[in-house]
Amino acid sequence: AQVCYDRLGCFVDTVPWAGTLQRPLGKLPWPPERIKTTFILFTKQNPSTFQEISALNPSSILASNYRGNKTTRFIIHGFIDQGDENWLKDMCTLMMQTEDVNCICVDWQGGSRTGYLQSSHNIRVVAAEIVYLIKYFQSNYNQAPADFHVIGHSLGAHCAGEVGRKIKGLGRITGLDPAEAYFQNAANLVRLDASDAVFVDVIHTDSAPMVPYLGLGMSQAVGHLDFYPNGGEHMPGCDKNIVSQIVDLDGIWEGTRDFVACNHLRSYKYYADSILNPEGFVGYKCNSTEDFVAGKCFPCPTGGCPVMGHHSPTFKAPAGTVNMKFYLNTGDARPFMRWRYRVTVTITGDRDVSGTLRVSLYGTNGNTRQHEIAKTKLRPGSTYSAYVDAEVDVGEVKKVKFLWDNSQINPLLPKLGAQVLVLQRGKDRQVYVDLL
Amino acid sequence: PPQNKGIFINLENGELCFNSLQCKSSCCHRTSGVSLARCVHLAADKQECSVKTLYGTYYRCPCESGLKCKSGISIGGSITNTNFGVCYDPRDTAESS
Repeated sequence: AQVCYDRLGCFVDTVPWAGTLQRPLGKLPWPPERIKTTFILFTKQNPSTFQEISALNPSSILASNYRGNKTTRFIIHGFIDQGDENWLKDMCTLMMQTEDVNCICVDWQGGSRTGYLQSSHNIRVVAAEIVYLIKYFQSNYNQAPADFHVIGHSLGAHCAGEVGRKIKGLGRITGLDPAEAYFQNAANLVRLDASDAVFVDVIHTDSAPMVPYLGLGMSQAVGHLDFYPNGGEHMPGCDKNIVSQIVDLDGIWEGTRDFVACNHLRSYKYYADSILNPEGFVGYKCNSTEDFVAGKCFPCPTGGCPVMGHHSPTFKAPAGTVNMKFYLNTGDARPFMRWRYRVTVTITGDRDVSGTLRVSLYGTNGNTRQHEIAKTKLRPGSTYSAYVDAEVDVGEVKKVKFLWDNSQINPLLPKLGAQVLVLQRGKDRQVYVDLL
Repeated sequence: PPQNKGIFINLENGELCFNSLQCKSSCCHRTSGVSLARCVHLAADKQECSVKTLYGTYYRCPCESGLKCKSGISIGGSITNTNFGVCYDPRDTAESS
């Protein structure tokens, strides 16, 4: 079957849109009048008050602060939230603090307040509306496809892929935890994939399988650069007990959304934090979480590592490579940035002692709290090493404080010291020695 | 969520608490008199801290092990738990750093 809407073209429910292993059932998208996709513009002139614009009413665009000589970024919400959530608007406002762009929040509540299956097809009309608006900008402001960047969360990420499919040479697509159901392992045509834009970066934060873990996001690498913060499945700070989760700092509604989909929503929170903190999300190229945890992917190669989030395009991926996987750790609450170091210490002392080793880093920009690097039977002369995700960017490291305390009272008052301590900073392989 | 989830003891950072003994970090922190308190990290070197008192919750956490909270103790302050100071390392002042 097929349905056609003027301005937006025709939509079918034949293979691969439906009738495949991943999408047995098919639905036709709702008409645009029902979805009522609205575009909300923010610019440097109006960083926190919005202007609604529409290609159907060009005077709204002419009267707005839209400027054709600036990059245009779209942000598309997903199935879980309904678009009037502030995270879209907050993200635009954050961008205005660091760049001069047109930031357009795409609100398709009319099409997402229904069953998931219908929503997953409604995004095709939403994408067509965005394409219609981009074409208007191209003809009236002679902007090139490369001037457009589409950011989508959950179903919004596949909507962005659909936009990219129709606009050849679209500048960039950012997929924030692209939705898994009906999309994972589906045909490229249907889901977000690396061919949808010149540069596609993806952040996976809820990629555990739908059954039995209720993971809502894809684990499949679908972009040029795919980031798996904290391994991509369980985000720190998302396993709080139910009371603490729902009674959230930003109120009950935000807490309830977090309770339902905390991991899933972390993707846009990490992206938002990355806007003003480019260096705080360095990604390490790795094949799996196990390799990353085992330290096989540390430090960055001489060519450097990409950063997850807003500033990803600064990384020059080798031409033609896709689905490169990167891993990193983040904080458990805002601010989410972390700076990764490897600490290696050889200890001295008069006897074996069981206890905990901790280090804190001191540098030109401040100091970190104490980080545990070993909790075991400490043997003098042996070397212990561990990774530290510092919560502060201490700048050039000047001093490392070494601390140990034993878990039980030991009347013999053993003495323990550190002989050699080597510290390596992940992002640029910088090595520091004799810091004691 | 992992099984040893305590609602009342062994609480992780970010979980609601009403006494510091509940927290793994042993600091139950509130931002204002009316705000809810949550478990957070102890104060690090050079961060604001409060002298360890009998209260269940703190406006500023006590310092990490090995550090001391340098603050002028005022009687009023200790009653309203607003004795704030800064964590410092006693051994630092020993060597001229």
